[in-house]
Amino acid sequence: MAGLELKKLSKAYGNVEVLHDINLSIADGEFIVFVGPSGCGKSTLLRMIAGLEEITGGDLMIGGKLSNSLSPKQRNIAMVFQSYALYPQMTVAENMGFSLSLERRPKDEIARKVNEAAEALKLGPYLDRKPGQLSGGQRQRVAIGRAIVRQPQVFLLDEPLSNLDAALRSETRVEISELHQRMATTMIYVTHDQVEAMTMADRIVVLNGGYIEQVGSPMELYNKPASEFVAGFIGSPKMNFVKGRFADAVGAATLGVRPEHFVVGAGDDAWEGKVTLVERLGHDTILYVNVPEAGVLTVSLSGQHDQTVGDTVHLKPKMEFIHKFTNEGRPIAA
Amino acid sequence: MLGRWILLFILGITAALMAAPLILTVFTSLKPTTELVNPAWYPPIDMTFEHYVRVWTEGGFSRYFFNTLVISVIDAIVMIFIASMAAYAMVFIDFRGKIFLQILFLIGLMIPVTAIVLPLFQIVRSFGLLNTHLGVILADLALAVSVFVFMFTSYFAGVPKALHEAARIDGATEFQIYRRVVMPIATPAVVTTALLEFLWSWNDLLLRLLLMTRDEMRTLSVGLLNFQGTMTRDVTGLSSGTVIMAIPVVLLFLFFQRHFVRGMTSGAVK
Repeated sequence: MAGLELKKLSKAYGNVEVLHDINLSIADGEFIVFVGPSGCGKSTLLRMIAGLEEITGGDLMIGGKLSNSLSPKQRNIAMVFQSYALYPQMTVAENMGFSLSLERRPKDEIARKVNEAAEALKLGPYLDRKPGQLSGGQRQRVAIGRAIVRQPQVFLLDEPLSNLDAALRSETRVEISELHQRMATTMIYVTHDQVEAMTMADRIVVLNGGYIEQVGSPMELYNKPASEFVAGFIGSPKMNFVKGRFADAVGAATLGVRPEHFVVGAGDDAWEGKVTLVERLGHDTILYVNVPEAGVLTVSLSGQHDQTVGDTVHLKPKMEFIHKFTNEGRPIAA
Repeated sequence: MLGRWILLFILGITAALMAAPLILTVFTSLKPTTELVNPAWYPPIDMTFEHYVRVWTEGGFSRYFFNTLVISVIDAIVMIFIASMAAYAMVFIDFRGKIFLQILFLIGLMIPVTAIVLPLFQIVRSFGLLNTHLGVILADLALAVSVFVFMFTSYFAGVPKALHEAARIDGATEFQIYRRVVMPIATPAVVTTALLEFLWSWNDLLLRLLLMTRDEMRTLSVGLLNFQGTMTRDVTGLSSGTVIMAIPVVLLFLFFQRHFVRGMTSGAVK
C-alpha cells in the first residue's frame, strides 16, 4: 500500500499540452475517482501514474519515491483496463497468475494466490476456461483478479464498467467497493459516469480541459461545487442553470437549482411553466417544465405524482439550496 | 437462376484451365514411354512408376530434394522469427528511426529481384558463400523479409494495444510480451509466413541457378532443367520431377489451408 503525490504534473504531445500543473495528494488506502467529460485528460493522467505515458513535467511520487522514470513493474501498480485486456490464449488461471509466473514464483504459490483471488471474485468454476468462453461480467472479474493477485501498492481502474450492461454495472460497482474495503489498498478509478464517482469514491477529482476543477468528497462536490462546470457535472439529473431576470433577482449571473430543490404549486410568485415531458420512475417523478425566459427545467419530485404533459405548473426554488455563479462560472458565496 | 448457371459455367471453365496442366503432367509421368505417342489428355493405360524411380535415383532428385527441403525449411523458420520481431518493434515499440526503417522495408518491397541479382551475386561471392546453403538462405531472407514484415505488421496492428500494456503492467519485458502474449495469438500470420516463404524458396529458380552451380548443391527447380536440352526433352522425366516437386507444397496447403486463408485476410478486415 502507498500514497501518491502528484506535483505540478503535466503532459504534452508535441506543442499541445493536455494536462496542466496537476497537484494532488492521495492518501494511503484512499479510493479516488477521476471524473470528467471525454477528452478532459483523466485517462491520460491515470496512464501517467501507471507508467504507460511519459510524464512531460512535474514529479510523481508513489510511496514517497520519485517514480517518473520507473517502469510500470517497478511502480508496483496493477491496472484494470476498460477492454479487460485479457490474454486470449491463456486460461483464467493463467491470466491471473501471469505476473507471478513472470517473477518465477513457485507454482504452488501461484496456484494458491490465484485460487484465493478466484474465491473472492466467485471465479472458481471458470479457472480452466479461456476468456472467450466467459461473459462480459466474468471477464471483468478476471481482469480485477489479475490485478488482485499481484498485491500491488496501488490499484488503477480505467473505466472498468463501461462495457457492462446497466444491471451488471451496479452489481460490479458494489463488488469493487467491497473489494476496496477488504483490501484497503489505494485505488484510483477513472470514469465519465458521475454516478459511479459519487457512489464509490472517498474523494472525487473533477477534471476539465486538462485542469483539476475540484477535489473533494462526493457530498462536498454536490453541496459546494467550486464552479458551474462541477455543479453541472455532479448530480443526476443535472442541475438547472437559469440566466436573465431569475438570476438577476438573486444577484448572480447564473442561478443553479438542482431538480430536487424545486417546490411545485408554490403560489402566484412562483415560475409558471408547461410540462413537456414526464418520466415516472416509481420512487421519483421527473418533470420537464418549459418556463418562459428560463428554458426547459428539470424537476425531480419524490414519490408518484399526477402531472401530465401540457399541464401548467408553478415552480419555486428552495432558496436555501440555490447556487449562484458569476459570469466566469465561479460560485458566489451565499 | 440463369445467372447462377452462367457463374457455374465460368467457374467450371476456370477450374478446368487451372487443373489441366497438373492433370496432364500427372498423366504423362505415369505413362510408359510407348504411350507417349497418344494425345497428352489420354490417361495412362499401363500405369508405371518407373520414371519416378529413375528421376529419384539416376536423376539425382533424392539429393536435390534434400537440398531444397533444408533451404526451404530453414528459410521459413528463420523468416518467421526475423519478420515477426521486426514487425513487433514497428507496432509496439517507439524508437528513433522507425519511419526510416519503414521506408527501407517499403523500398525492399518495390525492387524486383531480377534488378539486383548481379550485385547480390557479388555480395554472396565476397562472403565466400557461393555454392553453400547459407548463401542462398541469406539471400532469400533478405529479398523476402519486407513482404513478411508488412504482413506481420498488419496482423499485429489488429492486436489490441491494451494487451501489450497489460503485459507491461504485469512486469513482462518486450521479449516476454513478444513470446508469451503476441506470438501465441498470431498463428494465422505465422502459418501464412511459413507456407509462403517455404513455397517461394521451394520454387525459386533464379537465385539457385546463380548461387549454386555445383551439382551436389542443386535444388529441385534447377534439377528439372537436366531433363531439358537444347534439342531434346525428357518429357516423362520432366513430368515426374515436377510432380515430386509439387507434392510437398500441395500437402502443406491442404493441411494448413484454414490458417492460411485467415492469415491472408486478417490484416484486411481488422
